[in-house]
Amino acid sequence: MTRIGLILARLSLIAMLLAAWEALPLYGLVNARLLPALGDVLTALGGIVARPEFASDLATTLSEILVAFAISVPAGAALGMLVAESDYAAEVLKPIFLFVLSIPKSIFLPLMILAIGIGFWQKVAYGMVSTIFILIMGAASAVESVRADHLLVARAYGASRTQMVARVYLPSMLPVLLETLRIAMIFNFTGVILAEMYASRTGLGHLIASWGENFMMPQLLAGVLLVAAMAILFNEAIRWLETRCSAWRT
Amino acid sequence: MADVIALRERAGAIEVRGVEHVYAGAAGEVQALAGVSLAVEPGRFTVIVGPSGCGKSSLLMMMAGLRRPTRGSILCDGQPVSGPDPDRIGVMFQDASLFPWLTAADNVEFPLAIRHMPKEERRRRAAEMLRLVGLEGFEARYPHELSGGMKQRVSIARGLAQDPPVLLMDEPFAALDEQTRMTMGAELLRIWSQTRKTVVFVTHSLTEAVYLADEVLVMSPRPGRILDRIEVGLPRPRTYEMMATDAFGRLRDRIWRQIQTAA
Repeated sequence: MTRIGLILARLSLIAMLLAAWEALPLYGLVNARLLPALGDVLTALGGIVARPEFASDLATTLSEILVAFAISVPAGAALGMLVAESDYAAEVLKPIFLFVLSIPKSIFLPLMILAIGIGFWQKVAYGMVSTIFILIMGAASAVESVRADHLLVARAYGASRTQMVARVYLPSMLPVLLETLRIAMIFNFTGVILAEMYASRTGLGHLIASWGENFMMPQLLAGVLLVAAMAILFNEAIRWLETRCSAWRT
Repeated sequence: MADVIALRERAGAIEVRGVEHVYAGAAGEVQALAGVSLAVEPGRFTVIVGPSGCGKSSLLMMMAGLRRPTRGSILCDGQPVSGPDPDRIGVMFQDASLFPWLTAADNVEFPLAIRHMPKEERRRRAAEMLRLVGLEGFEARYPHELSGGMKQRVSIARGLAQDPPVLLMDEPFAALDEQTRMTMGAELLRIWSQTRKTVVFVTHSLTEAVYLADEVLVMSPRPGRILDRIEVGLPRPRTYEMMATDAFGRLRDRIWRQIQTAA
């Protein structure tokens, strides 16, 4: 099977699904009030994007996502490295992190609203809580993925501490780090949207929740398409980086 | 006076004086090495052979400055080895330990990049070393695209890149299959005859030891000490046919009996 063949197969599968989405409601095979035709959804999407308030909702959601990420990535990386580098820190913290990682974070939403109130920082906080433990675990396993024999070789050839970091630690850790960032972003995105849907007056999550409550199916589905496209875009961007940075992997 | 000049020109003498090594194991202190002394003359091929766990690899790591002896000292050309010194000593490890994210050429350049040699000079040197080990044309390959033997060739090239007078080799061919191992032994001898480095080579293969060495040092099981020094004296270049000769067999038997008696 050639690569082009695979891509064609994927594209035709997607085209068939989209065609079915357009055709089924049109021919009355499914209830058009529950599943409006693709064309109607796209028209609704055009309408949403054209509205002046939309830009501010999009900006709110994006800034919440980015701020949450900008805080949790360095914090998680630092804690993860601490766990990986210090046996004592690992003994004390690792089981605790694992316990917390297993708890569904959504149960903390009401608590956060009571503590922080409804607003920008509540979304950021929830995004961070959804993300940081994944980052800690990812950073720790990235450090652990550095092979002892590689460090020994570098030492034998007289590498300084800085050269060790730049020439051995970072390239060894990069694949795991990028993978961790990718997965962390999925959870971060989910967290922020969920927090917006739960209690908010702004943001994409809020829009989607209110369209749902008001049974505005074309808008609701347009919102789903939009958020899905954003998530896929970020995910693919990191995956592209991953392939570029790991040409050496088998 | 003439002797002094000769010594300076042919640097790469290794001297190990009364080295002991004790480490904290699960069941208290473990003595790995008990009073090891030896001297390696410049340009000689010395093989240390001994059973698994006799501390021969530890001894080599100490010569490389990567581990400290508990007691005793190690000298390279009369100066104590206190840490890694890539200008004097190149090291090769059991599995080639190449960096998988670097090409063959970049791996060979690694020690040179660490010393901030200009890129162009590094490139030239790496190409030269890869040619020496028979890997011309493989500069841009990544380790996962190379066979086990080829990886060890790259590792030899990396060890030679800085042109250190001493090359320490820790069971470099142990993970290779029998045929590749034989080929690599012959290749190593060819490279050695062209570069005339002091080589200290650790192995647990008696055949490999006799085939490669000028001198074989036999170590006892833990705590390791030197049981015997055997001058091989077979003519060079060594050939595959020599392995079937009586002289070769007698040398191998002598090593085997030493290890047997000690165990």
